[in-house]
Amino acid sequence: MRILGLDDVTFWYPATANPALENVSLDVGPGEIVALVGRGGAGASTLLLIAAGLAPRVTGGRLAGSVNRKARAGIVLPTPWTQVSGMAFTVWDEVAFGPANLGWPEHAITHHVDRALERLEITPLASRDPATLSGGELQRVIIAGILAMDPDLVVLDEPTAELDSEGARAVWRLVRSLAAEGKGVLLATSDVDALPDVADRVVWLEQGRVRALGEPSLLAEDAMCEAGLGTTVAGLWRAAGLGAPYPLTVVDAVQRWR
Amino acid sequence: MALTRALAFDGVAFSYGDVAALSDVSFEIAAGERVALLGRNGAGKSTVVRLVTGLGHPDEGTVWVGDWDTADRAPEELAWRVGSVFQHADQQLFARTLREDVSFGPRALGLSPREVRRRTEEALDALDLHPHAAQHPYDLSPALRKLAALAGALALEPALLVLDEPTAGLDRAWRARVADAVREHAGRGAALLVVTQDLAFAAETLERGIVLDRGRLACDEPLDRLLTSAERLKPLGLAPPPVAALSVALDLPGRPVRERDAAHTLARVAGGRSAS
Amino acid sequence: MSALHPFSLLAIAAALPAFAWILPAPGGGLATVLVAIGLTLTPGPGSRGAGSTPGWRPGFVTLRTALVTAAPFWLFLRLLHDGPTTIAIGLRITTMVASCVWLVAVLSPDRLVEAMVARGWSLAIAYLFAATLSAVPVLKARARRIVEAQRCRGLSPRGSVANRLRALRALALPLVLSAVHEVDERTLALETRGLGMGVRRTPLAAPLDRAAERVARWTLLLLCLAALIRRLA
Repeated sequence: MRILGLDDVTFWYPATANPALENVSLDVGPGEIVALVGRGGAGASTLLLIAAGLAPRVTGGRLAGSVNRKARAGIVLPTPWTQVSGMAFTVWDEVAFGPANLGWPEHAITHHVDRALERLEITPLASRDPATLSGGELQRVIIAGILAMDPDLVVLDEPTAELDSEGARAVWRLVRSLAAEGKGVLLATSDVDALPDVADRVVWLEQGRVRALGEPSLLAEDAMCEAGLGTTVAGLWRAAGLGAPYPLTVVDAVQRWR
Repeated sequence: MALTRALAFDGVAFSYGDVAALSDVSFEIAAGERVALLGRNGAGKSTVVRLVTGLGHPDEGTVWVGDWDTADRAPEELAWRVGSVFQHADQQLFARTLREDVSFGPRALGLSPREVRRRTEEALDALDLHPHAAQHPYDLSPALRKLAALAGALALEPALLVLDEPTAGLDRAWRARVADAVREHAGRGAALLVVTQDLAFAAETLERGIVLDRGRLACDEPLDRLLTSAERLKPLGLAPPPVAALSVALDLPGRPVRERDAAHTLARVAGGRSAS
Repeated sequence: MSALHPFSLLAIAAALPAFAWILPAPGGGLATVLVAIGLTLTPGPGSRGAGSTPGWRPGFVTLRTALVTAAPFWLFLRLLHDGPTTIAIGLRITTMVASCVWLVAVLSPDRLVEAMVARGWSLAIAYLFAATLSAVPVLKARARRIVEAQRCRGLSPRGSVANRLRALRALALPLVLSAVHEVDERTLALETRGLGMGVRRTPLAAPLDRAAERVARWTLLLLCLAALIRRLA
């Protein structure tokens, strides 16, 4: 049973001759974490918008192939500050904005909002004015706002871009806990080094096409390292002229060394 | 134009209302030095940038840009010496073409048309932006806009280049472009102060690390020592970047923190091991 | 003032200019202008911090904004008309301007949206109103950031008139461009928060609409109509 299935999807933005995505097929199952990697402009953000049901519905454009989504999706954009409602006095109201828009009864809203605040460890911020928050705090509020809508598919576009290393670690922990409770997670990140401990599957996007798809061990393969998309440790091993298969992480490297 | 003492903070304190952002911060940066300003989110790094550019004046202490006290100068005057790129600078581009935007700084300084042209072309070259020079900035991707903002600062040929998160959102290839352009600029004698969470970038491009913790100076030392010391980094909310972590874990001689150095050392040690 | 229902605030802001135009000049205009000015001096809701967002402004700032905005109109009127006509029209325009400025200062976008939604208005329309209201502080904040970045590139906003005009032009383009660009982004972003689902939104904190206020609003409307009829007859 898959939460999301993209079958041979090709997508063109409005008034554009070249497709942003070509013949992309991808599945996300419950409890799975799938990570998109690739150079900037390879189509990851577009793919995530399609997965979340925003393309072509909101962006316009044309889609060929089929998109099957069994459940509700929530997406956190790479520019989370644009997702602020602009209408909430407090962080609590901000997080409740989404559930309220879905027309849920008040007790359901309260339950989900409180849970989301706890999960993102921002309960102490609940009565703060969102306009006074720092970038990192605001990002957590937006993530909480999306989680409060109880999506079964969580889509994250560069979730650690604005964060310091503690914040980034907290996000990866959150991603793993979301998968642990059965949600599907589809994300795009340039922080390739974090993926071996987070992703179940990695998808290499190149100019709108899926160039490779597999387990995180993909990140230690020659082709990926050559393209500058492998993990730092793998790249280093390769540059040192040491033999394949290259270690993915520092821990792997230590084991190999002994 | 290089300044021997490019930047100095002397007992600087600054608060936003009641919230103390910086307390008793003192350090000096000489010409040609490449410094990383590190710390958790909220540690005070962006405040330092605001004070250096003259957008704010210290409540206590003095900020010196060369021999200028920033308290006596407006930001547009400091632009003669300080080239700055803020976070999200890509939102502030405004000319009709990328080339026009990059040339804005030199033009605003009143330089001769020939000089403006020279600086603009060199800045576009440094970041490989010529293919896009005639395009409208808002037609470009956010990553290219970020590079355009950097080109604009480089075109000022400042004695002190101050960058706030220059690699955020950039993929590896573009990060390398930024690293090259920035190193080249420092090579001509300019001083460099880079606020960054990207410790790998800092390791590759910069040599000295100043760490802020809750508005205070916590560390000021060479990066290759700082980045390999997990016990020092952890309480400051930082973690060794992959190359440094690998160096330490494998106990590589010299504890290299740069990729090229680490690859050489790794090859050498591995060769030595297989020989024995 | 802040405790009033958003619709009441809207009603007052609409009624004042209506009366200004309907009632005979210059007495009518004068009376409404005085009321409008009085309103601008009353403090708005104190729930947010000072200055940066609509909802609270020190009274004099609001008054000053209103007067400064209205001033150019007086100038043009004086050029086009004689004394009495200038005063008559000028007072009416000042009432309109002062009412608008007061409304923006006193009405919280979120309360307006909650009020509209509680009445069954579509969230998209409600949001349009709210976005218009909050546009000014958002643009102001962005303009400040742009000016700062430009100053750091050597553009001085001070000095000669030519200089200031150049600085203004340099500000206008990115401000408008980024605002337009952001509309697209915001539309997408708000969709991610559940807007546009076609579902009736759950009101989280609908402002209290007292019966007395409803009566007052209808009365105001009827008075307007009565005055209009009397004027036309």
